[in-house]
Amino acid sequence: MTKVFSNNRMNIFYMIVALFLAVLPFVYDSRSTLILLSQVFIFAVLAMSYDILLGYTGIVSFGHAMFFGIGAYTVGVFMKRFEPETSYFLLAVLVTILLTAVVSYIVGLLTLRLKSHFYAMLTMAFAGLFLVLAEKWRTVTYGNDGFTFRVPEFLRDRTDFYLICLASMVIVFILLKRFTNSPLGKVLQAIRENEQRTESLGYSVLQYKVIASVVSGVLAGIAGILYAVSLRFVNTSVFTMDITLDALLMTIIGGVGTLVGAIIGAGIIEFSHHWLTELAKVHWIFERWIIFFGIIYILAVMFFPMGIVGSLQKLKFGRKKKTSAPVKSEAVSQGDS
Amino acid sequence: MDVLISLSLNGLATGMLIFLLAAGLTLIFGLMDVLNFAHGGLFAWGAYSGIWIYTSTGSFLIGIIGAIIAGMILGIVTERWIIKPVYGNHVQQILITLGLMLVLSEMLKVVWGPNQISATTPDYLSGSWEVGNVIIIKYRAFIIAVGFTVFLLVQFLLKKTKIGLVVRAGVMNKEMVQSLGINIQKVFMFVFMIGAGMAALGGMLLGPYSGVIYADMGMEFAILAFIVVVIGGMGSFSGSVMAAILVGLSGSFMAYYVPDLALAANMLLMAVVLIFRPQGLFGAKG
Amino acid sequence: MSTLLKLDQVETFIGQYHILQGVSFEVPKGEVTVLLGRNGAGKTTTLRTIMGLNQASKGSIQYKGGEIKGLATYSIANQGIGYVPEDQGIFADLTVEENIKVAVKKENDETRQRLDWILNLFPDLKKFWKKPGGLLSGGQKQMLAIARAYVNDNELLLIDEPSKGLAPIVVEKVMESIQQMKEKTTIILVEQNFMMASTIGDSFYIIDDGRTVSNGSMNILRDDEEMRRKYLGIA
Ligand SMILES: Nc1ncnc2c1ncn2[C@@H]1O[C@H](COP(=O)(O)OP(=O)(O)OP(=O)(O)O)[C@@H](O)[C@H]1O
Ligand SMILES: [Mg+2]
Repeated sequence: MTKVFSNNRMNIFYMIVALFLAVLPFVYDSRSTLILLSQVFIFAVLAMSYDILLGYTGIVSFGHAMFFGIGAYTVGVFMKRFEPETSYFLLAVLVTILLTAVVSYIVGLLTLRLKSHFYAMLTMAFAGLFLVLAEKWRTVTYGNDGFTFRVPEFLRDRTDFYLICLASMVIVFILLKRFTNSPLGKVLQAIRENEQRTESLGYSVLQYKVIASVVSGVLAGIAGILYAVSLRFVNTSVFTMDITLDALLMTIIGGVGTLVGAIIGAGIIEFSHHWLTELAKVHWIFERWIIFFGIIYILAVMFFPMGIVGSLQKLKFGRKKKTSAPVKSEAVSQGDS
Repeated sequence: MDVLISLSLNGLATGMLIFLLAAGLTLIFGLMDVLNFAHGGLFAWGAYSGIWIYTSTGSFLIGIIGAIIAGMILGIVTERWIIKPVYGNHVQQILITLGLMLVLSEMLKVVWGPNQISATTPDYLSGSWEVGNVIIIKYRAFIIAVGFTVFLLVQFLLKKTKIGLVVRAGVMNKEMVQSLGINIQKVFMFVFMIGAGMAALGGMLLGPYSGVIYADMGMEFAILAFIVVVIGGMGSFSGSVMAAILVGLSGSFMAYYVPDLALAANMLLMAVVLIFRPQGLFGAKG
Repeated sequence: MSTLLKLDQVETFIGQYHILQGVSFEVPKGEVTVLLGRNGAGKTTTLRTIMGLNQASKGSIQYKGGEIKGLATYSIANQGIGYVPEDQGIFADLTVEENIKVAVKKENDETRQRLDWILNLFPDLKKFWKKPGGLLSGGQKQMLAIARAYVNDNELLLIDEPSKGLAPIVVEKVMESIQQMKEKTTIILVEQNFMMASTIGDSFYIIDDGRTVSNGSMNILRDDEEMRRKYLGIA
């Protein structure tokens, strides 16, 4: 699979797309499009961070919103409590990285030993705890309603912010590409394919899973920061299951274990959200747009566990190389006929 | 004293509702090794279809029966078309049942609109009894009674019937059950149907209890049910009833004395149990 | 004598491992056919493949003239094949009674007679009738597993290493019971204990590295020390 990406033609293609997106605001000045695209970039970071877990290591987390929320609240609280200055913003980023790293490390260490459904449940519970914390710790979080805040000078201009989001996405993409192609990333994929075998080869599976969990958690925190800054507002919704579901839909529909699939998934979901909500004025059914994606998601898990990108790759490379579906990774434990 | 009794009854009633949801989850998990993240969706569907039938026919009883039937039908559909195709693959199962949960909740909004719907208590279950100084709300007593009846029925089914025996055997060793000539797929379907029916009944009973039903109630209760399943021991039916009562009571007392921490306390309990005693507090399977 | 079960060039994969690479044998009705072979040769996998617990990818498995390859385990069992797995497969939390009850397909006089007969053979089971299966001794578990396979009117029993881990005196007991059952049903016996195999068996097949490599009547093997040493590691 990685061949496709180390492939020069592909890299050139990515560069052209990135360049195109970078010059876009200077040729096509539509505020709403810029905002929408910024959202896509932000969620692409979140989805890519989720892909590291699901697609590259085979871990299902239902608590990914936890890290996203930590980032969003950290930056919100810092901007509100202190001054909306660059120095405090950088401090908030630092604190986010620290917090998400510590939380993902602890949660991972405690839970990644468990079977996959326990892990999914426990992450869901931990995210729930953070949600409760955000609701109840009113002196800091202002409860359910949340609070608005001002952002440092350099983040105020929409075009600048757009470029920052784009840059974040590109950087995260490149870093994660390197990460997944590194020896460490290979071990993670080996875990996904066959955990026991990897363990018996002498790798400490838990340790590697925790590393994946930390990398993923920190990046989700970064996405949370960008998200809160884009809205200049934060409330408890950043900790809800909806965020995790968004990440899941984007990754699954785009294609797990490909990174670029996460980006495409983020684009599809965000744009559909935008357009279909507009269409809701025409017919109310479009208000429930998420249902279409729910169904597509289910069908994808069932029939195209590799998502759009994975399936395309398979079409192209299927004959040459045996690709295996990341979501189909777990060994069949139940020999029912 | 009155407060204590009132809180206990309250907690018991909530506990019973959670039990109805958790019992199916734990049975399905024990037998099929499937953690059904869509179970809360069946609960909410039971509530909506039951209340809808109740308001259109005017009969609470028909509403309950309708809810159970709707739940069972959905359960069968879920088992056949959603879960069966991905048997044996945990990651796919988890992902697909969560997706189904999403679809079920959204479908509710499509069919019955996105707003919450009010649900009333039938006349004969409204009001309360006064015993000494203690006020016992009739509908709560009713929920407790229904909960215990269901518990006893399922217990009877498991312990005294052939299919129950097969279920218990299947929890221990599926391959052997099949080698003895039993079609485990049918047993799966049966258990799933029973579990879904119980969840739907729970949702229906919740309606008049809380006064309103809404699409997200499924997810809210599902989280409590997961907590119960873990505390009671994954796959343990009798464990689930005890854990449900525990969670119901703790929720009720915490909500009274330290409301801010009610849910958090239960989640913490679950986290601690999962980490230190993954087999649950109430021991063995069965 | 007619053939009850016939395997022809059966191949089985477990995951990506090619475990059975060509197993062929015939089981004549009314006889005890013994499968021999070193540890890891594929004997258990052969029985599991017959039961449909592992899927054969190639070859054919004919039972009473019909193809059973690819059928679901339960329908294979329902055609009259009883299975005593290597680990006995006792339901630990169910009592001895319940363990047998799960298996019983028809509660009629014939079943009751068969049950009485086998319980007379294994009085221990009667004694611990209400005891959870998990608490039985190794030998008692083996007896329970055999009783459970026998209680239905099965025409063919697959028994996987019944002597494994049992004290010699218990082995004798189990052996005796199999010898008595031999009168009524056809048996495929996997057995490492050559003494036991040669006493009970009518004919043998040797499986090595997932293939049947040799076969004949039990007498031949009794006299052929070299073959025993080559494939079984015993003299
Ligand atoms: N689930 C599995 N995964 C991978 N390999 C397996 C599995 N089950 C069995 N095998 C392998 O298949 C081969 C045959 O195993 P099998 O249990 O059939 O041997 P056997 O002849 O019954 O041995 P024994 O005398 O020790 O019982 C062995 O090499 C074993 O390691
Ligand atoms: Mg064996």
